[in-house]
Amino acid sequence: MADLEVKLGPLTLKNPVLAAAGTFGFGEEYASFFPLEKLGALVVNGLTLKPRAGNPPPRIVETPAGMLNAIGLQNPGLKGFLEQELPRLQAGRVAIIVNIAGENEEEYITLAQELSAVPGILALEVNLSCPNVKQGGLQFGTDAANIGSLVARIRRVTDLPLIVKLSPNVTDIAELARAAENSGADILSLVNTLQGMVIDIAARRPFLGNITGGLSGPAIRPVAVRMVYEVYRAVRLPLIGMGGIMQVHDALQFMLAGAGAVAVGTANFVEPCTIPRLIDDLHAFLNTAGLSSLREIVGAAHH
Amino acid sequence: MLFKACVESVEELARHSYYLLLREPQLAAQSRPGQFLHIRIGESLVPFLRRPFSLAGACPQRGTLEVIFRLAGEGTAILSRVKKGAVLNCLGPLGRGFQFSASRLPAVLLAGGAGVAPLLFLARALVGKKRRVALFYGAASRDDLLPLKRLLPRETAVHLATDDGSSGYQGRVTDLFAGAVRQGMQPVELYACGPRPMLQVLTKKNEAWNFPLQLSLEERMACGLGACQGCAVSIRQGEKSTYRMVCSDGPVFAAQEVEW
Repeated sequence: MADLEVKLGPLTLKNPVLAAAGTFGFGEEYASFFPLEKLGALVVNGLTLKPRAGNPPPRIVETPAGMLNAIGLQNPGLKGFLEQELPRLQAGRVAIIVNIAGENEEEYITLAQELSAVPGILALEVNLSCPNVKQGGLQFGTDAANIGSLVARIRRVTDLPLIVKLSPNVTDIAELARAAENSGADILSLVNTLQGMVIDIAARRPFLGNITGGLSGPAIRPVAVRMVYEVYRAVRLPLIGMGGIMQVHDALQFMLAGAGAVAVGTANFVEPCTIPRLIDDLHAFLNTAGLSSLREIVGAAHH
Repeated sequence: MLFKACVESVEELARHSYYLLLREPQLAAQSRPGQFLHIRIGESLVPFLRRPFSLAGACPQRGTLEVIFRLAGEGTAILSRVKKGAVLNCLGPLGRGFQFSASRLPAVLLAGGAGVAPLLFLARALVGKKRRVALFYGAASRDDLLPLKRLLPRETAVHLATDDGSSGYQGRVTDLFAGAVRQGMQPVELYACGPRPMLQVLTKKNEAWNFPLQLSLEERMACGLGACQGCAVSIRQGEKSTYRMVCSDGPVFAAQEVEW
């Protein structure tokens, strides 16, 4: 049987399929559908230093082949995560990556420091690109100089593999990718959601409580694949690709564009067993294609 | 929790209101009043998300489940056209349903429009427990009222209200019930489901009556499991308020804890 194990710089995963931050909670809701240790890794909900209540409803709305969300990083904060969520995940032998989101640079540094001292966390993903919080998030993530200085500071306080998650809401994503690479990032993940809006025509105002939201789902897949393709050409770092992956053919597009691993997000809401099915289908693909490893196809669209 | 349910029948019960009978014995055995099914509408990408439907009934003996829905958009339009024998991908039963107290007080169920669905399931369960049950049911017009005779146990007392007066009391179902209280209704337990303004008005009126009141709420949701945190409702906890999820913490909440 072909081996799905992947190496992304300093990070080794048993398979290349991750659950994307903000779409899988802390795993508990999905544990009754399949054993979470099957996941290549679970990227837990964007974590802030203090608990966050999140945005006022409505927080989501369906769109053609996708949805908008404006959850606003609702999460239990660092202490809540370490006390209530982490022990359960560790007991279940889940590969855990923590997505960190600061309201300012100091919070990112504190989060990175504290989490680096905790055993059992595989890597940190820096959320530079949440479009739904007023401070931090997107505003950090759309300026190359900001990214550079922040990533460099985080790099100095952690030895964990450092993943930087990029925003698609920019003119030139390759420029941001290079800034992250030059500042010490180990891996890049892309893309976060695209900013969007739905207007309630009866009420004559934006539908979401937060006015704007992040678009996800198959609707954004071509944009995401194009960005992975561009970033692959611009940097030498391994990439985690995401954006509307529902099935194995979608994942293969990202890999051919240059992603060494993929993350599944919105599809989890539609089919809770999307990830285990995708892992099985990747196995079947390798066997059918007579390949021994997915390495043989990563970036192959560039040759 | 993930089931393939077989469509036994679909029929239009009243204007724009459909009755869907499904067969899935395990799902039927697990379902309780107030819980819901999260149904995938076909395999295509439009409509993209599952649709949540309150259960209008479940019969463990026959292995069947009842769903009643109103045409609201693309998803419900497709669902209204499914054929007998079709298989629906259902997540369920989801959510926390109505709480049954040990009290022997009569139960009054207040329904607005399509909100009647979970209360039909509840009415049958309460009658089964030998509780006295009355349903106050409001809709826009006579043609929108479901044929309750075939959906409710005989023992249920029904009081109708329509906005245009074409059937029963002319006006709001909350006013119809308030009138009954003024005429000296004894203490009861209240259960309600309907449009948000109706539930708000009822909660406000109930501050004077102080009956135990449970509300079944609705909100846009994606996963139905509590993971996406989309279907937030603000809940009072002592001095503070916090967001809870309609799908996994509800959809039934005690009225006094809901912040509108």
